[in-house]
Amino acid sequence: MAGHDYGCAVDANQARRLNADAWPGQPLDEFDTPAEVDAIFRTQRRIAVGYFCVFLVVTLGVPALTLVLDWWSSGRIVGGMSPNFAMAAIGLYVFFLCLAVAAGSLATAVEDRMLGGPVPYREEGPQS
Amino acid sequence: MNSGDLTVLAVVVGVSVVLAVGLRPRGTSTLDFYLAGQRIGILTNACAICGDYFSAASFLGVAAAVYASGLDGVWYATGFAAGFVPVLLFVAAPLRRFGEFSIPDFLGRRLQSEPVRLCAVVVVELVILSYLVPQAVGSGITWQLLVGGGLGGLSPYATGVIVSTAAITAIVALGGMRGTTWTQAVQFLFLLATLLWLTAIALGSGFSYPGAVARLGEEPLRNPVQTDEGWVLRAEPNALHPDEPARFSQPGSRYGRFGQFALVVTLMLGTTGLPHVMNRFFTSPSGRAARMTTVWVLGFAGLFYALAVLLGTAARALIPGAVAGRPWLAAITVDGVLRVPEHALLVLGRLYGGSGGLGVIASGALVAVMSTIAGLLLAAAASWGHDVYERHVNPGATQRQAVLAGRVAVVVAAAASAAMALGLSPETVSSRFPSIVAQMVTWAFALAGSALTPVLLLTVWWRRTTAPAAVAGMVVGAVSSVALLAVGLAGGAQDEVARGLLVTPTLLAAPLGLLTTVVVSRLTAPPTDVDAAWIKLHGTAADRHAERLARLTIRGVAPDAAEVSR
Repeated sequence: MAGHDYGCAVDANQARRLNADAWPGQPLDEFDTPAEVDAIFRTQRRIAVGYFCVFLVVTLGVPALTLVLDWWSSGRIVGGMSPNFAMAAIGLYVFFLCLAVAAGSLATAVEDRMLGGPVPYREEGPQS
Repeated sequence: MNSGDLTVLAVVVGVSVVLAVGLRPRGTSTLDFYLAGQRIGILTNACAICGDYFSAASFLGVAAAVYASGLDGVWYATGFAAGFVPVLLFVAAPLRRFGEFSIPDFLGRRLQSEPVRLCAVVVVELVILSYLVPQAVGSGITWQLLVGGGLGGLSPYATGVIVSTAAITAIVALGGMRGTTWTQAVQFLFLLATLLWLTAIALGSGFSYPGAVARLGEEPLRNPVQTDEGWVLRAEPNALHPDEPARFSQPGSRYGRFGQFALVVTLMLGTTGLPHVMNRFFTSPSGRAARMTTVWVLGFAGLFYALAVLLGTAARALIPGAVAGRPWLAAITVDGVLRVPEHALLVLGRLYGGSGGLGVIASGALVAVMSTIAGLLLAAAASWGHDVYERHVNPGATQRQAVLAGRVAVVVAAAASAAMALGLSPETVSSRFPSIVAQMVTWAFALAGSALTPVLLLTVWWRRTTAPAAVAGMVVGAVSSVALLAVGLAGGAQDEVARGLLVTPTLLAAPLGLLTTVVVSRLTAPPTDVDAAWIKLHGTAADRHAERLARLTIRGVAPDAAEVSR
């Protein structure tokens, strides 16, 4: 995992202080280092922007096709509906759900892999 | 209204009141009153968010927009559902992990600035008020059709506005977030069941969805307009192909080459800035739970809006053939087309289920209004009570005083929205828009998407965002969206592209707000000490801590359970 070579005892101490600042009065038995958080932030941003681009292209693509493809609005599929109507009335909702399941699962899996794992320096660093 | 209708309505309102009273906060802490102790489960919260979000605009308005405009009306539903994708991708988990009481509280703490907090309160209250008014209008319309009579010399419309606003104000003031959450969840399930019931009856009686779309597309789309000679049907002009008539199944009845893009972007970005919806994510136990809640919301939203579109189509196809022999229907139609499109679902309910069916749908409409009003009032209470009263009016307030301030805010916001709704007459304005309720909600989305969403996204994803920049971004977003909208409503543009940009101004106002925030951030001193905020927003230590505690609790309970089973 990228970022596991940045660790040192000083980083762990700084992390504990920052985590204490983040949740004052609520001592947690877990902590994240700034470098780990920076790495997950960049990864999550890449995932979110990537999925958002797909979402935008498909969602706005449905009305956009009307302007360039006559068949999209006047063709007949599914017993008389045009592809445009079928996508707007049903297809897009299925797409949103599939995209949400995929993006949500990936974001959670990435967090599991990149944060909270067994990192040697966490145990080696002096306790503050 | 007969006794059957009244019974349905009384049962629904009674269940809501019992839930609100039975699940009201036991203590007097603001965490309990505003956030239900941050212990709302994924499925419950998803249902509550849907109850919060699926307002009169979704229940009555989407079907009405499809009824009046065909395919071009479907874009309302698409935009409403699409709004939760950016919420899932960019906001839900980090917002919950930071974990404050409201959007102003989040922005104020993240940027460590009271001016940011107060500016956000003003914007949030504007959004809430502009969202509350169409809900009150929807309740007035529903009462008008369902009851047909007023109380104490008031018109039916005014009675509906006042009765529904008063009822939900009492529920929210009593139940707080905990009672409201369960009320909203149950109300959403009732709404969904209502749509499923109506769809099942329609399909069971031989209605063919694709066949109806194809058949409706063969004739020009005509809608009633009020003239000096009375109501007449007028063919809708085709904005896409001016030399052809507009048709139900084809684009062009409402939007030209541009309008639907502006609408979808407005609704999509607006959802992320809606205070009553975003506040619900603070009630999740963890960021991960907030994320999964959004996935469920998208599933429910897809089902809900697909059914609403189907039923709008069914109403358009079936009502003309049902007018003969039904004087009550003839009185509200012009040559088989409803004068007020919002009546579409209510009429379908009466056609299929008699007066009992009308009672069920009308109760659903009132429930949609009530659950959304509940969420909006709670959001108003959180921003006034927590962000203004506790921080600026009475910083030494006890928890009891703070909760009381929230309850007073609930009553004031409710009274203001009811007063504004009473000043409107939906029949006179509905000829200008296909669905006045959906249209008015769109204006609230425009304000939220232009003033709050850009700043919210930048504070979550850009470390360099500064407090002065956030204030500037919110002010520019809010002022530009309201100004563009005012010019658009005053008929300030004849060109289709310009009109689309003015009436649904997010496409212009949101980039303006975003650009302002970025430029001012670059021009002001970079914020210091962002690391702790970043750990809170994007780290998962608190989530892991909460999950470990939950696992320990379950392990602790399990041996006892094993003993009992033996």
